[in-house]
Amino acid sequence: MKTMRNHFLLSASTLAGLVAVQTASAQVDFAEFDLKNGLHVILHEDHSTPIVAVTVMYHVGSKNENPERTGMAHFFEHLLFEGSEHIARGEFDGYVEGAGGVLNANTTQDRTFYYELLPSNQLELGLWLESERMLHARVDGTGIETQREVVKEEKRQRYDNQPYGQMMPTTFDRAYSEHPYRWTPIGSLEHLNAASYEEFMDFYKTFYVPNNAVLSIAGDLDIKATKKLIKAYFEDIPAGTREIPRPTIEEPIRTEELRDTIFGKDALPMIVQAYPVPAQGTEDYYAVEMLNQVLSGGESSRLNRRVVDEEQLALFCGAFNFGLEDPGLTFAYAMASMGVEPGAVEAAMNEEVERMRVELISDLELQKLKNQMEAQLIRSQRSMASIAESLANYHVYFGDANLINTEIERYLAVTPEDIRKAAQAYYAPEKRVTLYFLQAPTAETTKQ
Amino acid sequence: MNRLNTLRTLLLGGFLAVAAGLVAQIDRSKAPEPGPAPLIELGSYDLTKLDNGLTLIVVENHRLPLVSWNLTLDVDPIFEGRKAGYVDLAGSLMSTGTDSRTKAEIDESIDFIGARIGTSATGAYASSLSKHTDALLDVFADVILNPSYPQEELEKARKQALSGLQAGLTDPNSISSNLRAKVLFGGKHPYGEVETPESIEAIAREDLVNYHTTYFRPNVAYLVVVGDITMQAARAQVEERFGAWESAAIEDRYQPLPARPEGNQVCFADLPGAVQSVLQLTHVVDLKPGHPDAIAVSVMNSILGGGAFSGRLMQNLREDKAFTYGARSSMSTDPVAGRFTAYANVRNEVTDSAVVEFLYEIERMSTELVEAADLQTTLNYMTGSFARSLEQPETIARFALNTALYDLPEDYYATYLARLNAVTAEDVQRMAMTYLRPNNLYITVVGNRAEVASTLARFDSDGEITYYDAFGAEAKALDAAPEGMTAKTIIDLYYAARGGSEKLDGLKGIRMTGSMEPAPGMAFEVVRETLFGQGTRQTVTMAGNEMMAEVVKPNAGMTRSQGQQVPMTEAELADARQDLYAAYLLHLDELGLTATLEGIDGTKAAPEVVMTVEGAGGSKELRFDLMSGLLVSERATREGPMGSVPVTITYTDYQAVKGIQFPMVMEQTAGGQSISIHYNRIELDPKLDASAFELD
Repeated sequence: MKTMRNHFLLSASTLAGLVAVQTASAQVDFAEFDLKNGLHVILHEDHSTPIVAVTVMYHVGSKNENPERTGMAHFFEHLLFEGSEHIARGEFDGYVEGAGGVLNANTTQDRTFYYELLPSNQLELGLWLESERMLHARVDGTGIETQREVVKEEKRQRYDNQPYGQMMPTTFDRAYSEHPYRWTPIGSLEHLNAASYEEFMDFYKTFYVPNNAVLSIAGDLDIKATKKLIKAYFEDIPAGTREIPRPTIEEPIRTEELRDTIFGKDALPMIVQAYPVPAQGTEDYYAVEMLNQVLSGGESSRLNRRVVDEEQLALFCGAFNFGLEDPGLTFAYAMASMGVEPGAVEAAMNEEVERMRVELISDLELQKLKNQMEAQLIRSQRSMASIAESLANYHVYFGDANLINTEIERYLAVTPEDIRKAAQAYYAPEKRVTLYFLQAPTAETTKQ
Repeated sequence: MNRLNTLRTLLLGGFLAVAAGLVAQIDRSKAPEPGPAPLIELGSYDLTKLDNGLTLIVVENHRLPLVSWNLTLDVDPIFEGRKAGYVDLAGSLMSTGTDSRTKAEIDESIDFIGARIGTSATGAYASSLSKHTDALLDVFADVILNPSYPQEELEKARKQALSGLQAGLTDPNSISSNLRAKVLFGGKHPYGEVETPESIEAIAREDLVNYHTTYFRPNVAYLVVVGDITMQAARAQVEERFGAWESAAIEDRYQPLPARPEGNQVCFADLPGAVQSVLQLTHVVDLKPGHPDAIAVSVMNSILGGGAFSGRLMQNLREDKAFTYGARSSMSTDPVAGRFTAYANVRNEVTDSAVVEFLYEIERMSTELVEAADLQTTLNYMTGSFARSLEQPETIARFALNTALYDLPEDYYATYLARLNAVTAEDVQRMAMTYLRPNNLYITVVGNRAEVASTLARFDSDGEITYYDAFGAEAKALDAAPEGMTAKTIIDLYYAARGGSEKLDGLKGIRMTGSMEPAPGMAFEVVRETLFGQGTRQTVTMAGNEMMAEVVKPNAGMTRSQGQQVPMTEAELADARQDLYAAYLLHLDELGLTATLEGIDGTKAAPEVVMTVEGAGGSKELRFDLMSGLLVSERATREGPMGSVPVTITYTDYQAVKGIQFPMVMEQTAGGQSISIHYNRIELDPKLDASAFELD
């Protein structure tokens, strides 16, 4: 199925009135190597702007957590801005910002990602900071207590005090019963309260080791000189000696649809459906991505045109793929318009999904998908930061950073038959979770 | 045509060139020295004007095969009034139908080539891979020049907007932005407009058509083209597609800068059940783009809370106090009205403490000179931000657009870094003193009224919080009382809840003993003795010494404070006489009082019944708990040496004494100060001597 023949050029030539041109591309060149301690390094040289993105991706996310200590990976990300043997508490930010840079980090189910965007003459500063973080980060009681409260505020701001803020955590909780994807990276505040200093150090020694990390740098750099500097800062960091726990648990396949209603205070009904899909990078994954694009890629996509535009059942309606290292989820969602029953919205959504399982998409739709994928790829190369992150992603998940240049071929090779097959295999009603988020009856309405 | 040379400038400030030797030995104990400062290039642009007045700005950049087209109209903001929302709809509906294309056709053409398009009331945007430029421009030019505003699409958009408003009712951020707009700009300014279901319903198709016909004109339009296209090709495209666009005169509208409040004002919108307060401290600023102070002001704001983690607000409220996930401030320049806003989302129980820290940090910008090292960090951070922004070719295009829009000097951005790095600590302090108003700002809070609001009154200059609804309108005071509920039924319920009218009215006398702590470590004893119908006396003593006394008899009263005795006025006596009754609300006629039921306050966690009682002594508001019937609070305005001051007394901790409920805690709040009396002993029908009520 996935031969690399350029189907695109063949079908484009059959489309009257359309300009058949070559696939646009911007080759991303890079160098990569391993240090003796197992740290993988990827360098991309681009002198367009005198800036450099220094990034480190650790292959640890919430799925590596102890089920009794959920939220640990994300909490740990906060702690790793506290300082090191040579960086006092609170100085980390100042070094970067005082050098004209910005810094941040984020944590997903599968990985934790740190970055500094710096003027290119400050590349060495970025290497020093990241090597300090990897070699001997230091956290004290004050840091732990402060960040515990900060993370609680983050949770309140992003989830508890947000309209429909419980949507994602609740959906993952219902969609998984065994796999650690059943909790989301924000985790549980009770678990974080219970975690001891020893547990934090244990987590650090297990996961924050060079052989579990990728150093990916993109921008205005000289590859040879940068290699030397990297060796100087990172080569001495001892390799981790512990086995890195990776969940092997397989989520059982659902044979009966799970339906539930969750009551909150938000006024309009939200309908969320989650379909289990294969892990990212697998053959079927690309067909699933294309399938979502048919359903939800743009104003003219099927869900939007039917549910929002033509039938005006919803304020918005779409689908997206939550691609993960282990088998993930595809979400279909809609917020019902005022006065519309959620059941009516769901029925229309289900019909559109069902159509995907029965009909083949047209040649024109296929061409549209390919054009969209191509534009998406080019847009993802607009900044050094996103190039550095993509390179790291491709290495961490697939062991092949060059997918930044070649993954597009996997998308372009997907056929209408592949898409229908994926719909039949993964978009089966009995495999999905359907949740309604509805407004709880208020005191006022109960009184009446 | 005006072809500008490539602008070159050096990274300055902290990036002094120190050659970094690539030594194998490194010293981990300190941060490495930076390498030589790199040269940064602003890039170049072309600016040209078509015969119809359309200004075209082109920035060539061939790194990626992408081209973007951005149209901006330079028109003054419009006050929409009762049709708030029509201007936005006039913009967004441009892409929902033209004279020759339906919405479905527009959507399909754009999606087919993987392009993006967006229209707004003041412009339009589109981008695609460069190979799809022709197909993109067919649609882009059509939606700008020939929108047809189908009635059907308006009705769809109206329905969407109404649903959106409904969804926004529980979104603290959308409520906060409504609240801020309303309090800063009021109901008569374009920046103070907030869409409501009524305003959305009032919009007609003609409003949209008229807006487009009037304002989408080339003589006020700037088209910025960025990316993988040559200047010649861009000009040819624009001439072809927009050359025949007809110009028309557009009038200017002057908008005055609204006044700032006299003192700080707390503005609260209730979001029942909220676990955080969305907190903003905000005021308008007269600061137009390109103003000579603008750069120094942005440095000042950056030190306070502009983006960086090392900003003072972030360090104080997040890294030190852990009140919030993030605290920042912004200072916007604007041709009509700039805004200063400091903001954070904080948990309920620290909302008041967060306000204290915000005010402290804002004031400190004026009272203290910033440390040289902190200033340097900020200058470096801003220098770096400027350099990083140049990664996107849109940045140089934005510089060109701003230079044209705001009449900036041609070298404004070329000399930006030099001027930035010339800002001194004294400049920063002067900017803070000129532009920050820590005593004339609005403190807007969207949050849990029941848990948070009472702690914030002290930040309001008149001690009174103003409440708003989700659309930023002042909250309607009260709900109507249900049928059959009257002042009399509420009074009867109240005394029944206390143990029964007869029991209370049958009391002969009472002695209540309690304590008061007006300042830490200062313990006062409070005793009130009453022989109902004859007299009442309250004394406040400290270590046995009288601090204050008040005596009331049916026809006279006096107060004594530190030996100074003052007789009560007729009005004071009329008010005080009710203390001679155990259940004065049963004796309104005798006391010359009238009671009026006002309604129900449903905004409280526990709904309250509101009643006013009026007489010769003035009027006061009584609030009863709807469920229990007990008195919750009394509120009156008292004349004092500082003018009239609202005084609130709350009654809590009701306990039964021989079957009668008494509030054991009375808290009095006036002018932001509060003081409580805690009763520890209540004696019913004690031995009392009427001589105690003799006036000396």
